[in-house]
Amino acid sequence: MKRKTKFASTVLALMLSVGALSACSGNGNNGNADPSNAPSSNPSASSEAPAAKDTITALLPPVSANYQANFEQMAADFNKLYPNLTLKIEPASWEDMTQKLDTQVNAGSPPDLAFINSESVAKYEPLGMLMDLKPHLTPEMVSDFDEVPLGYMARGDAQYGLPAYLAVHSIGGNKQFLEEAGVDWKKVQQEGWTYDEFREAIKSGVVKEGDTTKRYGFVFATSGVASKDYLGILVKGAGMPYPFTEDLKYAYTDQKYLTVLQAIRQIIDDGSMPKEASSIDAGKRWNMFLTGQTMITGKGLAGFENSAKLNNEKLKANDGSAVADSIPVDYVVLPMPSFAGEPAVSHAVVDGYVAFRGKKEPTAEHAANVAKAAYFLASGSVAATTNNEIALSHITESARKASEGMEVALDPDNQAASAVLLSQAPAMREIPSDLGSEAIKIENEVIIPKLQALLAGEITPEQMFEDVKKAAVDTFGADGVVQ
Amino acid sequence: MARTASNTRNRLNRGDNAWAYAFIAVALCGYALFTAYPVINAFIISFQEYKPLGSTFNGLDNYADTFKSELFGKAIWNTVVYTLLTVPVALILSFAVAIMIMPLKKWAQTTFKAIYYLPAVASGVALSVVWLWIFDPLQGGILNQLISVFGIENQNWLGSSKTSMFSLVFMSWLSSHGTSIIIYVAALLGIDESYYEAADIDGASFWQKMWHIVIPCLKPTTLFLLVTGVIGSFQVFQNAYLMTGGGPDHSTTMVGLLIFDTAFKYFEFGAAAAQSLVLALIIGIIAFIQFKFLGKDVEY
Repeated sequence: MKRKTKFASTVLALMLSVGALSACSGNGNNGNADPSNAPSSNPSASSEAPAAKDTITALLPPVSANYQANFEQMAADFNKLYPNLTLKIEPASWEDMTQKLDTQVNAGSPPDLAFINSESVAKYEPLGMLMDLKPHLTPEMVSDFDEVPLGYMARGDAQYGLPAYLAVHSIGGNKQFLEEAGVDWKKVQQEGWTYDEFREAIKSGVVKEGDTTKRYGFVFATSGVASKDYLGILVKGAGMPYPFTEDLKYAYTDQKYLTVLQAIRQIIDDGSMPKEASSIDAGKRWNMFLTGQTMITGKGLAGFENSAKLNNEKLKANDGSAVADSIPVDYVVLPMPSFAGEPAVSHAVVDGYVAFRGKKEPTAEHAANVAKAAYFLASGSVAATTNNEIALSHITESARKASEGMEVALDPDNQAASAVLLSQAPAMREIPSDLGSEAIKIENEVIIPKLQALLAGEITPEQMFEDVKKAAVDTFGADGVVQ
Repeated sequence: MARTASNTRNRLNRGDNAWAYAFIAVALCGYALFTAYPVINAFIISFQEYKPLGSTFNGLDNYADTFKSELFGKAIWNTVVYTLLTVPVALILSFAVAIMIMPLKKWAQTTFKAIYYLPAVASGVALSVVWLWIFDPLQGGILNQLISVFGIENQNWLGSSKTSMFSLVFMSWLSSHGTSIIIYVAALLGIDESYYEAADIDGASFWQKMWHIVIPCLKPTTLFLLVTGVIGSFQVFQNAYLMTGGGPDHSTTMVGLLIFDTAFKYFEFGAAAAQSLVLALIIGIIAFIQFKFLGKDVEY
């Protein structure tokens, strides 16, 4: 009896230890096909021999309101198209996405596909954890995509992912308030505006009651890392579409950068933007926009029009879920201003399905399957449904075709303005990953913290410019920066 | 007969020992797997340029970079300031609350202990959301409405380096003292009644009893809470991460947050491991000093 209990206790202890061990082990997704299937060196072999079973994993955020609800259907449709393949989708929130993916990548067991920004390619490429899909994409797949967004997912000869959409970050105005402030918003939509014009417009949009500001002219979400977007969007209109010039010199040491920093401070000192801007996050500024506390807000996407419309409908129907104290708002898409006589350049964002590899070299067969899954998600009906929902233009022929008959209820003026902004999107500039990584570090360690201090009025634009310049020269050397 | 009894006792002892080993083995495996292995691994990684597909040894570069880094120095300074402002106040508050609830009836004591312990079981993220609401920088913010009563204009609590550290400290002052209160109450219950009786006979006042009986008797508890409080405070991460992100201008960047950023923002796991080990060394030195100078006449 005693021997039995001793044995049982040992077994239990071992089981607990093994359980703990297994909890630590990765899912072993090293990009290998089912072990029972021999890897094929010829990707086209699958069309001749019975195709081997394989599972493709994907980490996907809520790209649109209904995107994650469609996962089951997406997986079923993919399996119908490729009966030997299983698409296993792991949902993640936008907040968790980066952290989850970073942890998985550094542990050497990332998903096969992850929905991320094209700029993140520079972050993962030096780790050697990205998978080149180029050898596995058929000419039909490649030709389905618009050239510019496809280029955002490429580096050198490698195609690390397929784009889902190209979005332009703009700002959005309240039509009624703009007209009250005498802003010819239709002209601005078509022709853009300079910083001086913009500054005057947002000054006119301010409404005060005594010393209290009841409405600001402009509120941009600049809390924490969101401040990166603000500055990033502004500097594009100052002739710096990328942190590096064409000859790969760090661009933010240019005097034009100082001009933008001065403008950021001027807007706050004018009283057009709240002095507490550095603590206003995305949710807060959208609330301020819907409650009439600001005439213009940023950043904006074309789909924001639908959010405003939805709230208008709720107000009309006396629906209690409408934003508290909100007013009916007609959302107007507006461009960011340009600086110092530079041409208007839009801040284009390309998000899409980037392919990763695990610690083990993926088989050619598995890589081809990942390419199929990436194409399935980035094109056709999946892309059509998602992009329509978030009111973004399609970037594949197949999605355009699939979206025929789908309702797009965007204001024609806003659609035209978005088209103008899209035409101003700069072509992808390839920056070597070592330079890119250093630029990201300067951005995180110097630019964002200093910008927060600038917004809070604790340092001057000149001080911030000097700090950025010093960090850049320390990192890239005096010859590596724009003088 | 005696020999048989001794054999039976030995067998029973061996049986008990086996059980003991089995249970210890579980905890030991857990410790080895989740504490010892990561620490040893971190030590190795601290001498490497870490890459998922194969790291390379780079000698003492990570340590050299850590000591050269102005940001690491600033983060250490911020952490020291945060610790100095939070730990002593936390001890005083916990001690005061424990003293105040001691004379209450058992049910009232339990109720207050539960109330004070509640933040410890609540999600830190949920609490941060509430605090973000309190620190809303606009005029409608709760704290701003409160100070407006005194004619003070609204403050950008988390967005200004003048108030950001204070905001985090203030947040710490008003939350999570439950554990310390419970430990203090338990220690207070352990003080022999005869001390108080003797003091009463001598006509000692409340403060005299406090100074000559309670505080000396609670010295081991206070030392324990001080050491664990300092360790916890040096490792603080969540508040800064969720409330300020370390800003503005790194005014609230604590070492824990810097290590996280180094690892997960820049993927410099080697540097992050070196920073972690330097932090562990600093904490070790501080704990040693605390025991050396404050633990002299402490009896356990």
